[in-house]
Amino acid sequence: MNRVAANLLRFGVPVLASFLVCGLFFSLAGYDVWEVTLGILEGAVTGPGSFRQSLRWSIPMVLIALGFMISFRTGEFNIGGQGQLMLGGLGAVAVALIVPGPQLLILPLAILTGICAGALWSAIAGLLKLRYGADEVITTLMLNFIAVLFIQWVTVGPLRDEAVRGQTASTKRVDPSLRLTGGDGISPSMLVLVALAILVAWLIAERTPFGLKSRLVGANPVAAMWQGVPVKRIRLWAYLLAGGFAGLAGALEVLGPNGRLVTDATPTIGFTAIVVAIVGMSNVPGIVLAALLFGGLQASILFLPIVSDLPSSGLRIVEGLIAAIVTARFFHLRWRKKQAASVSE
Amino acid sequence: MGIALGCSGVTVSFDSVKALNDVSLTLESGKIHALLGQNGAGKTTLARFFSGLIKPDTGRLEINGCEVESGEVSEARAQGLEIVHQRFTLPPTFSVSDALELSATLKKGRAIFSTNTVAKSWGDEMQKAGIDASPFAKVGSLPIETVQSLEILRALSGNARILILDEPTALLSPGAIASLFERLRKLRADGVSLLVILHKLQEVLEIADTVTVLRDGRLVANPTPIENTSSSELSDLMIGGDGGPSVLQAQAAMSASGKARLVADSVTTASQKPGEPELSDATFVVRESEILGVAGVEGNGQRQLADLVCGFAELRDGRISLDGVDLSELSLAERRRIGIRIVPFDRMSEGASLATPLWENVITWRAEEFRKPHIPFLSVRAMKQRSREILGGLGVKFDSLEQSAMSLSGGNLQRLILARELENGVKLLVAAQPTRGLDFSATDFVLRCLEQLRNNGAAVIMMSSDLDELFDLSDRVIVLRGGRIAGEFQPPYDRQLVGDAMVGATR
Repeated sequence: MNRVAANLLRFGVPVLASFLVCGLFFSLAGYDVWEVTLGILEGAVTGPGSFRQSLRWSIPMVLIALGFMISFRTGEFNIGGQGQLMLGGLGAVAVALIVPGPQLLILPLAILTGICAGALWSAIAGLLKLRYGADEVITTLMLNFIAVLFIQWVTVGPLRDEAVRGQTASTKRVDPSLRLTGGDGISPSMLVLVALAILVAWLIAERTPFGLKSRLVGANPVAAMWQGVPVKRIRLWAYLLAGGFAGLAGALEVLGPNGRLVTDATPTIGFTAIVVAIVGMSNVPGIVLAALLFGGLQASILFLPIVSDLPSSGLRIVEGLIAAIVTARFFHLRWRKKQAASVSE
Repeated sequence: MGIALGCSGVTVSFDSVKALNDVSLTLESGKIHALLGQNGAGKTTLARFFSGLIKPDTGRLEINGCEVESGEVSEARAQGLEIVHQRFTLPPTFSVSDALELSATLKKGRAIFSTNTVAKSWGDEMQKAGIDASPFAKVGSLPIETVQSLEILRALSGNARILILDEPTALLSPGAIASLFERLRKLRADGVSLLVILHKLQEVLEIADTVTVLRDGRLVANPTPIENTSSSELSDLMIGGDGGPSVLQAQAAMSASGKARLVADSVTTASQKPGEPELSDATFVVRESEILGVAGVEGNGQRQLADLVCGFAELRDGRISLDGVDLSELSLAERRRIGIRIVPFDRMSEGASLATPLWENVITWRAEEFRKPHIPFLSVRAMKQRSREILGGLGVKFDSLEQSAMSLSGGNLQRLILARELENGVKLLVAAQPTRGLDFSATDFVLRCLEQLRNNGAAVIMMSSDLDELFDLSDRVIVLRGGRIAGEFQPPYDRQLVGDAMVGATR
């Protein structure tokens, strides 16, 4: 129980600290902090339908963050969640729009295709790293841009919805029978699916030889190698799984709230998810908690400008500050670890 | 003739280990002095002390006859002392002239310059020094001997009058060594004093004016003119010449003819570690109930031998098998499954993962065995329980299974590694420097473990730079030199002969 308390503290302190710092700045800037706080709470929890909205945003975050966690545990910093999410969406929408068949067959097929598309997109970076030593931070980041442009081409080209006239290109809507949710993104089937995915991630990370070995690989790949652990193979699987979870998130966006593939529907979710994973301390319960928090913030960001005169960027600052504080602690720890290791050599 | 370098009463300790123990010596200027000793004798520590990189516990430093504050690189440099490290310091992605300009001791007063002026001035310097390379070439693309010449050029570009070279020959081919020596002689003729760290006797005899020998951090031979010594005498000084055959050795000799376990048949490796020799045409057998000791100066193929057994090194030629099973196609995981285990060279970085909890350190590699019945998931409880038994079996002291391996002392950590490796069906254990850095009782414990393993029928390959423990423990000893097996010895061991084989001395 002590460990749980300690972890809650490690989670809570930076979050609280960033809210306090932001509160200070808001009040200095002349905002009524109390009103803003109420606004945030209303946008995230207490307002009508706002908790559903928070959950709706938590879902892609938690999935991508779990994928990030899996690869991060092996020591790979896969920040391509955004691109993998988009490819996942593309895979799902392509199946849903093109392949004819009964809902019972097409829906799982669409989700599976989304997962595979995300996994393959991630595997590109994985192979570049493991085979040629290309830094995964760069390749995953760049693959995000390629994914955006690719999706743009798809949505103005092959899968374009002729009916839409406007700035954002998108595909046709998928058949309502293939949608898991309405526009608010929450339904029993959706929640069950996500809960299942979380359970699977936990089992993979904590209850499989792969999960155990990936921890050793992440902590000390050389020691792992001497114990016969196939370091590269573990890492390649980690890339596939990370991409798979992000791809699932993309598929659920398309088959859930969005109902179609839109070019710039969720341009930052993949990056927020990395913060979620780090704030969640790379473990499943922590990530679920962090995803709820950031989902709530996301919902407030969309809501707050309506009720108070605080622009939505104000909350982006809170988000950024949490990320900064947590990351600072995180790298501090890593640095201390490295230092300890080099001293003991 | 003046004194180039002097020190008195120098003691340097790392934790509880004394790397240098009350060393006093003086080196005359204008000569080539060799510093000789086994690995861990304190040669590099002494060089670093001279160059101001290490502050000693006690002791005084004198350069060019002036007393200099020790532990200050700038002080040593101001007195004209430069060091060329074993690992090169010129940035490999820089062009030659940029790298030299960056690292040169004495900036030539240029605040703004063009690539061409820098290249030209360094190009001239290089030509004067007889280095055949373009100043525009990337440092990393040059052959190793050229980079070394550049390192020397860099060191001398100020007004260095004293130059220390730390194992300059370790990475060089014989031809390159000859031209390095030519260069050193030229420097001596120009009045530069040189202190060269070497561990091959031939090289010492070829190049040095005087030789100084360190063993276990102590000075065992003052600077001695080279003509007053011989390779056999130096070999004895280096290795230490006491002790006859022990009782244990006689026992060991009894159990010499078991069934062959590991058979390596004219093996040549391609492990691709730059600067280290590959095993070439090595043939050896390790039998059941036998400890095969591997002696040799470090960097003569020990890593390659471990890599060969683990499957990290590509097998360029020859065959290797365990109990008749060909190993060449098996991964290390598969090799471990049939009973090959290894205690790696460095327990901190290779043997264990310091940031990882104890139980994961011992159980992860065989996690598959702890699947729950009927479902493919692991039982953490069973794994922890087994880990507790494994750790307890060798008496690892710990409070909690969740504590990180970082919290263990060196001896305790080695126990953990042994506990993991000796579990369950060991047929062959490779123990690479298993006692390095351990105190007396921990060393004793490790050796007892290996002995017991042997008595239970396993085959053991033991690599150590401590000849005493090798001789005590081994049923046979082979010597590696330059990746070849330079000799095989039976008990009672003749320390002199083994030492000669290690360093390539002839009597």
